[in-house]
Amino acid sequence: MATAESELRRRGALTHPDVGKYSDVNRDVLKVLSRPGRGWWVLFGIALAGVGIFFLSWFTQIVRGIGVSGLNAPVGWGVYITTFVFWVGIAHSGTLISAILFLFRAPWRQSIYRAAEAMTVFAVMTAGLFPLIHVGRVWYAYWLVPYPNSRFLWPNFRSPLVWDVFAVTTYFTVSAVFFYLGTIPDLAAARDQARGLRKKFYHVIALGWRGTDREWHHFSKAYIYLAALATPLVLSVHSVVSWDFAMSIVPGWHTTIFAPYFVAGAIFSGVAMVITLAVPMRKFFRLEAYLTVKHFEAMAKLCLLTATIVLYAYMTEYFLAWYSGEPPERGSFWNRAFGHYWWANWIMLTCNGLVPLMLWFKRVRRSIAALFVISIFINIGMWFERFVIIVTSLSHEYEPWAWGLYRPSVVEMGILLGSFCWFGFWFLLFTRLLPPVAIAEMKEVIPPPMRGAKEAS
Amino acid sequence: MSDGLKRRDFLKVLGVSGAGASIAGCSTQEVERLIPYVVPPEDITPGVATWYASVCQECSAGCGIRVRTREGRAVMIEGNPEHPVSAGGVCSRGVSALQSLYDPDRVATPMRRGEAGLQGSTWDDAMQALVGGLQGAANPLFLTGILGPTEELLVSQFVAAVGGRRVVFDPLYDTALREATRIAFGVDTLPQYDLANSALVVSFGADFLETWGSPVAMSRQFAHMHGVDHGEKGRFVFLGSRLSLTGQNADEWIPIPAGSEAAVALGMAAHLVQAGADAGPYADLLSAHSAESAAQAAGTEATAIAALANDLASAPSVVLGPGLAGSHRGAAAANLAVLVLNAVAGNVGQTVRIQQTQSPPGGGFGSLLDAIRSMSSGSHGAVVVAGTNPAYTAPAGAGFAEAFQSVGFKVAFSAALDETSEMADLVLPASHPLESWTDSMPRAGVYAVGQPAMRPVPHSDSRPMADVLLQAGAQMGHDYGGATTFRDYLSRANAAWLAANGARVGLTGDPEDRWRELLRTGAVSYDDQPPEVSALQPSATALSFDSPPVDGAGDLTLLVYPSSRFGDGTQANRPWLQELPDPVTKLMWHSWVEIHPDTAESLGVRTGDVVRVTTDHGEVEVPAWIYPGIRPDVVAIAMGGGHTAYGRFANGNGVNPMVLLPAVQDDASGAMALVSTQATLTPTGAWRRVATTEGSSDQDQRNIAPAVALAALGHAAEEEAGHHEQLQELQEIGGFKPSETEGRAEDYPLPGAEYGDYTRDQPRWAMSIDLDKCTGCSACVTACQAENNVPWVGENQILMGRDMHWMRIERYYEAVDATHAGTVDIRFLPMLCQHCNNAPCEPVCPVFAAYHTPDGLNGQAYNRCVGTRYCANNCPYKVRVFNWYSYTDLIPEPMTWQFNPDVTVRENGVMEKCSFCVQRIRDAGNRASVEGRDIRDGEVRPACQNSCPTGAIVFGNVRDSSSAVAGLVGDERTYRVLDELINTQPAVHYMKKVTHHEVDSGEH
Amino acid sequence: MSSGRQGFFALFEHLDSTIEACKALRAKGHKGFRAYAPLPEHHLLEEGLGLTHSPVRVFTLAGGLTGAATGFAFTSWTSVDWPLITGGKPILSIPAYVVIAFEMTILFGALATVIGLFINSRLPNFSPMVAYHPECSNGSFGIYVAAPAGQANEVRDLLKGFEPAELREDPEGFDV
Repeated sequence: MATAESELRRRGALTHPDVGKYSDVNRDVLKVLSRPGRGWWVLFGIALAGVGIFFLSWFTQIVRGIGVSGLNAPVGWGVYITTFVFWVGIAHSGTLISAILFLFRAPWRQSIYRAAEAMTVFAVMTAGLFPLIHVGRVWYAYWLVPYPNSRFLWPNFRSPLVWDVFAVTTYFTVSAVFFYLGTIPDLAAARDQARGLRKKFYHVIALGWRGTDREWHHFSKAYIYLAALATPLVLSVHSVVSWDFAMSIVPGWHTTIFAPYFVAGAIFSGVAMVITLAVPMRKFFRLEAYLTVKHFEAMAKLCLLTATIVLYAYMTEYFLAWYSGEPPERGSFWNRAFGHYWWANWIMLTCNGLVPLMLWFKRVRRSIAALFVISIFINIGMWFERFVIIVTSLSHEYEPWAWGLYRPSVVEMGILLGSFCWFGFWFLLFTRLLPPVAIAEMKEVIPPPMRGAKEAS
Repeated sequence: MSDGLKRRDFLKVLGVSGAGASIAGCSTQEVERLIPYVVPPEDITPGVATWYASVCQECSAGCGIRVRTREGRAVMIEGNPEHPVSAGGVCSRGVSALQSLYDPDRVATPMRRGEAGLQGSTWDDAMQALVGGLQGAANPLFLTGILGPTEELLVSQFVAAVGGRRVVFDPLYDTALREATRIAFGVDTLPQYDLANSALVVSFGADFLETWGSPVAMSRQFAHMHGVDHGEKGRFVFLGSRLSLTGQNADEWIPIPAGSEAAVALGMAAHLVQAGADAGPYADLLSAHSAESAAQAAGTEATAIAALANDLASAPSVVLGPGLAGSHRGAAAANLAVLVLNAVAGNVGQTVRIQQTQSPPGGGFGSLLDAIRSMSSGSHGAVVVAGTNPAYTAPAGAGFAEAFQSVGFKVAFSAALDETSEMADLVLPASHPLESWTDSMPRAGVYAVGQPAMRPVPHSDSRPMADVLLQAGAQMGHDYGGATTFRDYLSRANAAWLAANGARVGLTGDPEDRWRELLRTGAVSYDDQPPEVSALQPSATALSFDSPPVDGAGDLTLLVYPSSRFGDGTQANRPWLQELPDPVTKLMWHSWVEIHPDTAESLGVRTGDVVRVTTDHGEVEVPAWIYPGIRPDVVAIAMGGGHTAYGRFANGNGVNPMVLLPAVQDDASGAMALVSTQATLTPTGAWRRVATTEGSSDQDQRNIAPAVALAALGHAAEEEAGHHEQLQELQEIGGFKPSETEGRAEDYPLPGAEYGDYTRDQPRWAMSIDLDKCTGCSACVTACQAENNVPWVGENQILMGRDMHWMRIERYYEAVDATHAGTVDIRFLPMLCQHCNNAPCEPVCPVFAAYHTPDGLNGQAYNRCVGTRYCANNCPYKVRVFNWYSYTDLIPEPMTWQFNPDVTVRENGVMEKCSFCVQRIRDAGNRASVEGRDIRDGEVRPACQNSCPTGAIVFGNVRDSSSAVAGLVGDERTYRVLDELINTQPAVHYMKKVTHHEVDSGEH
Repeated sequence: MSSGRQGFFALFEHLDSTIEACKALRAKGHKGFRAYAPLPEHHLLEEGLGLTHSPVRVFTLAGGLTGAATGFAFTSWTSVDWPLITGGKPILSIPAYVVIAFEMTILFGALATVIGLFINSRLPNFSPMVAYHPECSNGSFGIYVAAPAGQANEVRDLLKGFEPAELREDPEGFDV
């Protein structure tokens, strides 16, 4: 046992000297669930207002027609799909950290994965709205779900959009289940400390968990199998999303590297978003003992890795465009770099390509403030990456006569900003209702109480 | 369609005369009282279209049209193939006549001027006022546009009976040419040109493909002359200061200064005379000229002039006069010079025929100025205006408005209140040409009768002017041979003539049969032409052939030209035309001033910068449009914009250039001088986004619209084949081998189609478009819009890039240079849904709204569409358009009456596109299966094909190797856009433009 | 009515003593007792209670296979049921259907796993929480034994022997 403990300490998993006992974890984490402070209420108010704007804009669009957006021919997709891909991307790091790192037994994941998973679920909830928002007749959007119409016509399973429906719904279901399952023991812990109404609430959603040997036995097995299923799912979902573009023949979309390129980008943006959220959480909820610099450094390294992959993908695209020798392909990328939307392209390259290179320096990786700033840059950059791919490619396709430009409208901006508030709304609720750090799993990295040990000392 | 027609000849006639009256009514009042079609009227089968032959009244060319009616409503206008002049073609203005028929701004009832201005009234009251007013007035003035011969007869009779004066004014009538012809040949008529049998056409700025003469007929002749399918290819040289659409179709352009036409023409003639040609009485005149003097005037090399002159003499050729856009103070002289050149080149009597006939009165500006003088001098007690709008079309300086106001009793026959009729004391709602009888004599030897296609639209209590005059005449005790309606008058007037000439023109049987047959075909022609004159006569009047004076300050010459969409502005209140990209500039809804890039640079303006155009006579502010096809010392503005009163779609759109012009005429002929003043341009600093569909006019090395040099014809095929093999190898290296097809009959069914009922012996619908024949006139665009209920979206939506046209004409510049004489190479490419075999739009649709029909169409199920727009993103040709709003909801009554009942009206959030006029395919299919046969080749003709004046579009079943389209698919010029790059295997096959100069072979 | 059994709930502060107690109980042939822990403690589960395999994996496998089969069958049948050509592609575009099949494999697999978990671990379990101690979700371990009347003293002594922080006795013993 002692060896195991020192092993854990060496790997930096064990969090903090004054977290020595199991009960310390309960104390520190569950106190977060106590009455929220003013700061929380302010943020929550802002989020609610934003959600209002979000649905007001959407309502306007449904009543008046999709024409209230700035979309046109040739640019049939714009801010909506950009934001959809952005949020789907954000959704990826959660499952990555909870599932893949779980299978790899990465010890630093325990303290962060709960928040990451919550982020995943809420990000998918946000992303899932955008396909509905962007269609011309949302009142018929249900025709995409696999059921036959009155003449027994089914959806077209050759269409990447139908793949999307399957991939995103599957991803939402699985990550939500995975997230909830992981919380059950902690909900039981919350139940056992709570009083009154909260106790009833936790009693119900904890499903009467008692922590018996039987429960833990099957639970831990089931958890492994779910992780094993979720891992290929994470990789598939963003591949499918990338195929929305790669399966088309639009110059700038029709590229074989899109799947890996998008998956890397998704993890990149997801980890960045985890950092963006974890830094304030750590501060407000005084979780310094659990979210240590070591955790942040580990995430910074993950960012650095994916950033280099993404940068490589950018360069590959340009090289292949030139190497193809096809005027439309070359024209598309020339336009991307120097055309009407050059600024978007250079924002993307700066934020995703250059800024993350600072993570090569250990001092930057270990500075929480620096990481926070860099993560914001990455979030912006990754939104623009999708904007560049979608809008600049569409605006400059095969037919020179049909080239055109697109200007996002107020409604689109309202929905874009609203989507962040919608996400924040759920995340704020989460921090108050569910243990934001995985209590039971934290205990796994604390040396268990031993009678033998006590006698020894 | 002609098959369908024969069955219902008799009924058609009745439909108009007796029974038709009551039925057309059905579609309005009756329907509103919800009385079902229990007993369908005998000449209307619900759901079956009835076609009426008639005459187009949009310009003085008098093309034959066929009007398609459904349940008593006119829904479509197409060319009448049996008409000797237009022979099946039609133009955008002709098709859009439907929108003036259903114009929501038509005058509802007669109106009389009271204290509070014009007020609604009744016909009884109005007739009383008219009769009283005319009887009381001394020397009433009748100011009209050009009328059909019989109506002309009636009006002149009426005018004589009331002791009045008759003046005709039509700004687009080439009085200068007519006067020149009178001077040169002593015949008061317009020459007949035969482009088809010429090898070389030289135009001194005459826009014969758009607004000058008989554009539809001349387009057809030009296409024949300029096309290669009859072996050789003719040449077209354009001399003028601006490339109009006509000029853009030229092979060479000599950008001569405005006003130098006479000098250049005479110089060429002189060169030929020196070479021994005979100039008759003009020899002395020509002795003062030479190729050198011409070259000097034209600002080019004498050798070029001489060479061109020699070519004129050595081959059958035609030289066309300056036309309207070039008309200036020396217009008659310039036209005379051109006629002389024709004579010297030996064209007169061959390709330029002067027939010994008396043409009906044309309307010169001079006669209007004359009328204005006499009006203001108070010599007219009353004035009646009909079919002309001088308050708008005459330069402000002419003072028409003031003179008109000064007349005591002003009557206007007007469909909609325009700038002139809104000043009248009595406004009589005139019936639309499609609601009334008329006839025309477009040229000697052709006679056509225009019959109404439907009862008057009930939204306007209108009457044909002729009927009103007959009625008024009756009340005043005139005698018109007992005719009480113009139809009687017309048939009586024709009865004698038909009796005499019926047999000769193939109209036999008793009078009633002859009359019916005449109405069925719509027109007759007789071969024995009047005698021709070919000998030049000495000029009685002394004309100056020097460049005419241009008044005013400023370093830029202002060129005002008739719009190919609005003419002189008469067609401006039609959203179809407002939203039709101008064939030259591709701009919509607003006006522009065309500026050469160099001039623009020196002024520091870009396209969209609003500039103030100032002359001594007025100023307008209008966005600039940079155009390489105009001389640096010239700026041009089109007529037809800036109406102040006409209708909701015209008012306030653009500017009216006439306010910039002085009221000057060519004294010899009385032609309005449109090139008469200098202008100054000053940037206002404002900028506006111009409403255009043009993304880029540069093909960016993509060979969307390739061309092949005439010299290369014959071995173009091998090159292509060689290239294709290379491509195949490359694709196989990549592991992908596309299913091989060149679209030949035996290629079908294609691999991958061996499922479902896709292997049944279905037709494979395909289209061939000959880019060598397409002149970019855009008639197909309007016809498509009319046939398929394609909505217009308005300027703001256009500015957002949301035009809804199913068909567009792309215009790519290859060679345009206004600074010196040289080749012109501008490619026109009609782009519509390509109905690809491997359609990229289909597999991406999540709900099968886009799918492939067994007969090879790229189907679009509107009511299954969810509106993801993925298909549009994935369409390499960008021919799919999306309903961002429910645009059709914005179309006002009664314009909605024009909707084609065979085509769905699409709602908000739905994708749409060209369907190859699937409704016509199905209609023909049903008829064929009822008659137990296959669809005949040529039985299905989409709207675009039916409207095309040059026959560039051919449609048919490519799997039937005997079909016309299957033959064209095998042609060496045939290619398919982007096909080799992305293997879409389109069903639309284009035939490369053929150029006289060398071009790159058109491969990637 | 009485089950004729007596319930003992022993709360332990130390993992090793909990494990030892479990071993001893098993050695004495006690079957139906439950151990409680605030975390998935593998030593307790494996050494103490000798739990190894879990039947949940069977559910996972079955679910996954069903998903894959359904995915392919479903897409192929709907395509053939109303064959519509799009983009010149075959009616049975298998590569496209692989995506659908894959996603359904994951979905069915995951849901089946959850069902398997719930069935095997008897969740959700809303029966009154008598044989339970709130400390077990916090810092302590626990053992609950429902001992037949005859063995009550023996069990009490055994548990006492491992110095429980607290030993609670119920007159009624339950199966949990």
